[in-house]
Amino acid sequence: MSCVPDKVKDYFFGEVSEGDRAALRAHLKECPACGEEFERLRLTQAALRTLPDEEPPRRTAFVSDKVFEPSWWQRLWQSGPRLGFASAGMLSVAIVIHAAWMPKAAPAPVAADQAAIERRVAAEVAARLEPAIKAAVAEAEVRQERKTAETVEAMRKQFEFQQQADRLAVQDAMRQVERKLLVATRLAYNAEGAR
Amino acid sequence: MIFREVEDRDLVVKSRHGSVEAYNLLVSRWEKRVFNYLLRLVRDREDALDLTQETFLKGYQNLAKLDDASRFGPWLFRIAHNEAFSMLRRKRPEASGETEPEMDGRTYRMYPIELTLAVESALARLSDDQREAVVLKVYQGFKFDEMAEILSCPVSTVKSRLYAALDLLKDTLAPLQERSVE
Repeated sequence: MSCVPDKVKDYFFGEVSEGDRAALRAHLKECPACGEEFERLRLTQAALRTLPDEEPPRRTAFVSDKVFEPSWWQRLWQSGPRLGFASAGMLSVAIVIHAAWMPKAAPAPVAADQAAIERRVAAEVAARLEPAIKAAVAEAEVRQERKTAETVEAMRKQFEFQQQADRLAVQDAMRQVERKLLVATRLAYNAEGAR
Repeated sequence: MIFREVEDRDLVVKSRHGSVEAYNLLVSRWEKRVFNYLLRLVRDREDALDLTQETFLKGYQNLAKLDDASRFGPWLFRIAHNEAFSMLRRKRPEASGETEPEMDGRTYRMYPIELTLAVESALARLSDDQREAVVLKVYQGFKFDEMAEILSCPVSTVKSRLYAALDLLKDTLAPLQERSVE
């Protein structure tokens, strides 16, 4: 292998192929110039690495800020699972819309369903109608009884009023008769006295 | 390493969904590396810290643009690279990638050890592109293809910058390191 300084540097930094590595290792043992080059590189790197790393004087940290946060659609776009859910949602919506716009192509099951509904309605009506009638009749009877009682009470009061009025009229008539009798008696007594 | 990559990817995904806590965890994992990369590139602590924070903020705002969540590290360093060179161009508009930066005594006296000072001085003599290549390879341990991704250039360019830098550095540093060992 001939001397190629850049190859020695590649080998020094470990950036050669497996085949070149073995060949260069053998060459460095045989070639004093390349061996010296390799040693000077090692010393140079050792010297460079005496320069220590420094700690940053202040640490950098970020706080949550809406200004710098990605928007909801950016997060959605960057999220595989979320995008999958969004796709599934859109597919569901499409299925629902398609189903809503489909023509009614199967009337028979609908008719069957209609008959069943009518039977169910009839049964429901029958179940509810009799109690409703009974309740209505009872309510009417109560209302009639109350009206009859009110009428009887009114007639009774009318009768009592009339009875009292008649009694007062009789009493008045009796007093009139008594007064006329008294006047007639006095007139008769006076006439007898004059004769 | 594999576990680390998987965890970073999970945190990136959570952060994309708005989890600030997940992103703060990513920040805590990468903050020191990004800071030291920027520090060695711009050679100023305050600038490096500002750039670090700006890097992570832009990272959070642009997470949706990261195609492969497992490549968060190189992608983040790409942002840091852009931020750093944007600042370097603002501060030194006349400087091209091939000019040598001037010495700055304030930042070069960070460490008292002679070898450390020599390393800082030698790194400072490199161009920004060369120094960045050395930092990414030697200090951050990125592969050539990752460096190409960060720097947005071919691997051949990455290797060219790195090896030119090493040729300059080894003339200065290898003897010093050899003496320090002795």
